[in-house]
Amino acid sequence: MGRYVVVRLYSMAMTLLGLSVLVFLMLRLVPGTVVEQLIGADAVVSPAMVAELKRFFGLDQPWWRQYAAWVGGLAHGDLGTSWRTGKPVIALIAERLPVTIELTAFAIGFALLLGIPAGIVSATQRDRAVDNVTRVGALLGLSVPVFWQGTMLILFLSIYLRWMPPVMWVDFLTDPRRNLTIMLLPAFCLGTASAANIARTTRACMLDVLGSEYIRTAAAKGLRPRLVVLKHALRNALIPIITIVGLQIGILLGGTVVVEEVFTLPGIGRLVLWSIYQRDYPLTQSTILFVAVMFMSVNLAVDLLYAYLDPRIRY
Amino acid sequence: MSRNLTRRDFLTTTGLALGALGVGGRVAHAQGPTKGGSTLITAQTTEATGLDPQLVPALSRSRRSPLTYNQLVRFEPDMTPVPELAESWQISPDGLTWTFKLRQGVKFHDGQEFTSADVKFSFDRLLEKSQSGKSDFSAVDKVEPVGKYGVKFVTKEPFAALVAALGGFWGFIVSEAGVKKYGDLNKNALGTGPFILEDWKVEQQMVFKRNPNYWKKGVPHVDELIVRVIPDEANIVAALRTGQIHHGFIEDNKNYNLLKDEKSLTGYRSSRLGYDYLNISANRGPLKDVRVRQAISWAVDRSQVMRVATAGFGRLTAPCTAPMKQWQLPEEQWMKYYKPDVDKAKKLMAEAGQASGFTVKCMVIPTFPTMVSGAPVIAAQLKRIGINMEIENVEYAVWIKRWQAHDFDMTMNSTPGYADPDVAFFRALHSTKGQNWNSWSVPAVDALLEEGRRTMDQKKRKEIYDRLQLAILENVPHLWLYSADLIDFTQTTVKGFRQHPTALLYGLEGAAIEKA
Repeated sequence: MGRYVVVRLYSMAMTLLGLSVLVFLMLRLVPGTVVEQLIGADAVVSPAMVAELKRFFGLDQPWWRQYAAWVGGLAHGDLGTSWRTGKPVIALIAERLPVTIELTAFAIGFALLLGIPAGIVSATQRDRAVDNVTRVGALLGLSVPVFWQGTMLILFLSIYLRWMPPVMWVDFLTDPRRNLTIMLLPAFCLGTASAANIARTTRACMLDVLGSEYIRTAAAKGLRPRLVVLKHALRNALIPIITIVGLQIGILLGGTVVVEEVFTLPGIGRLVLWSIYQRDYPLTQSTILFVAVMFMSVNLAVDLLYAYLDPRIRY
Repeated sequence: MSRNLTRRDFLTTTGLALGALGVGGRVAHAQGPTKGGSTLITAQTTEATGLDPQLVPALSRSRRSPLTYNQLVRFEPDMTPVPELAESWQISPDGLTWTFKLRQGVKFHDGQEFTSADVKFSFDRLLEKSQSGKSDFSAVDKVEPVGKYGVKFVTKEPFAALVAALGGFWGFIVSEAGVKKYGDLNKNALGTGPFILEDWKVEQQMVFKRNPNYWKKGVPHVDELIVRVIPDEANIVAALRTGQIHHGFIEDNKNYNLLKDEKSLTGYRSSRLGYDYLNISANRGPLKDVRVRQAISWAVDRSQVMRVATAGFGRLTAPCTAPMKQWQLPEEQWMKYYKPDVDKAKKLMAEAGQASGFTVKCMVIPTFPTMVSGAPVIAAQLKRIGINMEIENVEYAVWIKRWQAHDFDMTMNSTPGYADPDVAFFRALHSTKGQNWNSWSVPAVDALLEEGRRTMDQKKRKEIYDRLQLAILENVPHLWLYSADLIDFTQTTVKGFRQHPTALLYGLEGAAIEKA
């Protein structure tokens, strides 16, 4: 187990290194820099001033030197300073992270509460009306884009019910009720596709397991159907489901970019989006890397969870 | 069948899920701040890129500047200049020296008194540091204090547009102490204005407190002002409807139809100083030929473009827009250029040797709704005379880079407008002394621009700019497409809000919330 974790951590470090180069170069391949953003459209600017600004941001240096400076900072735990806000990147992340984590947690909670029961029912009622409805519903859930769903929900609710989630952000500790009201729609939108995904996987895995001999034996010896399904079958179907859920958490972390923009939530996603528009390189680079670390950590945690759920798995 | 779940099993399993949804239902009506409070919440789609009134050219900055800063002179909504930090002014007989008498007893937000030293500091800093701000004041030689409460602007040549420049986007007075304290004023604000900036969470909101020592007595009426950024305008519409914000600035005029019948809202609609236009680069291929540019002008049906881009909430405009009343050409003089005439356009194309047409590219910034909806209409209209206009979607940062480098055939464009024709045209159109975005050169236009700048007599100036506007319409550096109406909505409980043709937020100073 210890050895496995060490190997995984090593490969994580290598992936991060590769990612850092990729993010760094991709940002610089996009035309336009923070200097043009600062100057704006209407400006009359001398080349000397542009050169001075470039020097100020270190953009006059060759790329590998800029990269080394950034990675060197990271190695010392310094994520850098945002060019457009003047604040340390770590402070901006700390300010925004709770929103994104809360949103992701609610979304995955919603996806699990809807997806797993729906998958179970669908599998046990195979080819009946309930199953068909669930399958079509899951397909819809997968197909509807998040941004469209969000905008339509807001429009629909504001026109017909004269209601929309509060636009002024409040964190959970200040006012839990209001915070939950704000989170309800975004979590629903963000979680829909995941719920559909989880429902489909659960159904498939359950069908697989339900067809196996030990289930027939359990049923034959007169166990209550509920016990057979929830204890014997579900537990064994759980491994692939957990994998999907782990992957979904990563996808949701990325998906919050769109949802946060549509619902104006002050999370990491909007921070990254804004920083890209502003060409705020240190902020974009370090935040993306930070999200990547989170994603990888979740995956590692999921892999370790297998061993707990299925005693046959050993690392 | 053993696999079947009973109904009870199903309900217990899914009950939790439904229960989770139910939570939302119960708290669903917990709403935003009450309408009767003294906090006014306003929302718009764009965040300010920075706040320094002397360094940041973006309109998102200019719009917010009147909240924390004052100018020496400001323009009323009908575009007449009124004294602000300057009480009065006079011009020397040679037209080269303007002397301003400053208001006494005005305090900056940090309690320091506003004096002539701050005016000198502001304009020295502007002329030294701000490349774009400087061009509004390019004729100004120096600014000298005259005692503690007087200041003298000495110009290199008679400069008729000085008052317009002082009341424009670059005329805000900063404090020397403020600049020393903060380095630049991009993330902070220290002025004499009605509100004091308390907190700024970027891409979320700015929180302002009422300035208790504001020199205008009795305003502002609200204790707190929150300027929210809500990037998707559909959400601003929804927030207005549900009473969560007091004021919303509407940029996509189609949304006027969605809100105009709401009983709980007051709609404001007026002419904008700015306009949307189509830039043509006059040094690219066939576009060099004035006949081709004229053909484009005759082929484009501006009212159709306006109907699509602004849902009809706008008006066609001469180079001087409606709010620039005293500079307006009589309508019949410019409207005749706007009557689409495809035959005439085709004839001009043939004369220019372009009867078979050509292909050009036109830049559009995807985040500007009027550009996105207007460009395809123009493309379709140009197709009729054989011009194949390809629309290039260009992200804003890239657009700025290419705009600065004059690297485009054509581009959709939009400007907040200017009060004085010198400020409006000199920088944009003078072939050598201006920025000359169109890369063109018409000596007659250059001469008129210079003459207009030097002429102090109002009547003569008006004649010059009448001639200039006609010369512009003849030579087509760009197409003035339309001026979209300015649209704001407030809750009906908000009284005293006034729109300003520049879209600057002057009107929040006098806004009050009536107790319900």
